[in-house]
Amino acid sequence: MAQKPKVDPHVGRLGYLQALVTEFQETQSQDAKEQVLANLANFAYDPSNYEYLRQLQVLDLFLDSLSEENETLVEFAIGGLCNLCPDRANKEHILHAGGVPLIINCLSSPNEETVLSAITTLMHLSPPGRSFLPELTATPVVQCMLRFSLSASARLRNLAQIFLEDFCSPRQVAEARSRQAHSALGIPLPRSVAPRQR
Amino acid sequence: MASSGGELGSLFDHHVQRAVCDTRAKYREGRRPRAVKVYTINLESQYLLIQGVPAVGVMKELVERFALYGAIEQYNALDEYPAEDFTEVYLIKFMNLQSARTAKRKMDEQSFFGGLLHVCYAPEFETVEETRKKLQMRKAYVVKTTENKDHYVTKKKLVTEHKDTEDFREDLHSEMSGFCKAAEALNTSAGNSNPYLPYSCELPLCYFSSKCMCSSRGPVDRASDSSKDGRNHHKTMGHYNHNDSLRKTQINSLKNSVACPGAQKAITSSEAVDRFMPRTTQLQERKRRREDDRKLGTFLQTNPSGNEIMIGPLLPDISKVDMHDDSLNTTANLIRHKLKEVRLFLKNYSKTRFGYRIKWRIICGNDSTVIFFHFLVF
Repeated sequence: MAQKPKVDPHVGRLGYLQALVTEFQETQSQDAKEQVLANLANFAYDPSNYEYLRQLQVLDLFLDSLSEENETLVEFAIGGLCNLCPDRANKEHILHAGGVPLIINCLSSPNEETVLSAITTLMHLSPPGRSFLPELTATPVVQCMLRFSLSASARLRNLAQIFLEDFCSPRQVAEARSRQAHSALGIPLPRSVAPRQR
Repeated sequence: MASSGGELGSLFDHHVQRAVCDTRAKYREGRRPRAVKVYTINLESQYLLIQGVPAVGVMKELVERFALYGAIEQYNALDEYPAEDFTEVYLIKFMNLQSARTAKRKMDEQSFFGGLLHVCYAPEFETVEETRKKLQMRKAYVVKTTENKDHYVTKKKLVTEHKDTEDFREDLHSEMSGFCKAAEALNTSAGNSNPYLPYSCELPLCYFSSKCMCSSRGPVDRASDSSKDGRNHHKTMGHYNHNDSLRKTQINSLKNSVACPGAQKAITSSEAVDRFMPRTTQLQERKRRREDDRKLGTFLQTNPSGNEIMIGPLLPDISKVDMHDDSLNTTANLIRHKLKEVRLFLKNYSKTRFGYRIKWRIICGNDSTVIFFHFLVF
């Protein structure tokens, strides 16, 4: 989980996070990038760090990393977003920064953890009071969730089911189900899972 | 359960113990060597999978060991799970996620009856309802924590830096001036003028909508404070998850045991008290004795110098130790109060029964209190 910083005490948490961000910017090593991103993503689990992370624009760092080719970086970045998006301020920032399409793209990833984190992030981004964001419940997304709900992976199945029950209206689900018969399947399931059609 | 590989412990990817990372830069090496892994709420679970348990019939001991971290709802051995020779795999379901997190952190890589345990989360065993509840609790926790922080910091700022807050509020109406102040404060709090931070210093305006400013007007002022207090705050918050709930469960169980049958408790030996007694001051003790005697209206005149006729064992009094925490202080005061009442009862009882006043100190009460103190001293 969170590492204990070995820096001068008076530099503090902000200084340490800053050093991490700097290293991520400057390093050429993929290993170091992965380590730093994992570090930041784990820091994003603790709400006491959110102020610093916002100041250092780590949220945008995560969003940018979603477009990386390295699958591990994508997995860690979406994990970081999943950790910090329940917070209201962070949520607004992500929505304003246009993060939703990037996160929806992550649903296509072959990596199961990435997909799980993406689904959870979308769920947390939904505004309270059950007034759904239109992008979140667009037909392709709902269709994707319907396919996930039939998957052999229990975790994926559970999350997809929660998404369909709590964040989509029954009408949307019915519409997506009827369209599924006609449209081509656009979003492949994650690699570690063998889809089972019933 | 889907099987995706023939290797041991690899029915699922997240069960596999990853290799420890040995290429970390010095400044970000932790106390223990760790693998490169991100923990999200999806991965964490009240279900723990324990691999590497020696197959010597120690299920009971294993469960007892894990039960130290919280109530266990159910446990069973997983016979079909691929395991090394002579080891077994167990599944333990905790009542709440926090206990599972603590247990995993403490018990992973621990030696147990000659074997090395590998503990990991097993979220695939959750039902839909359990997953839903887990996500909701996580969301509620984050919202509650950030709202508390906002409330506390706003209060603090209103009291200490009233003028600054007012000035800042005026600036809110124009984004530009607010942004400048933010950048300025950021530079000062950062402590150095590092130009190579595109993510922190450039701060393109499009990312700073007025909505964001409203909700985060605190952080600019907070930054200077928090970076100074950063480490302490981390200590309290970082330990919040791990230590707080542990403390709370111990407080609850001890409160119940002390409060109920205090008067009927047998007097145990005094050796335990000698071992665990926290420091007391003479002045406090004498003052307390004077007050107690005054309350009872004792027939023996209390000498200011303290030369009272005393019969019976005289044991050290309960000291008032400040726990540095409001809720713990409240609980400690409650227990002290209860012990005082019981002590009063026993004093009266001994006076009527034996004809003379015996200075009792309730040893068992003291014991619980000092064990209570002992647990809380880190």
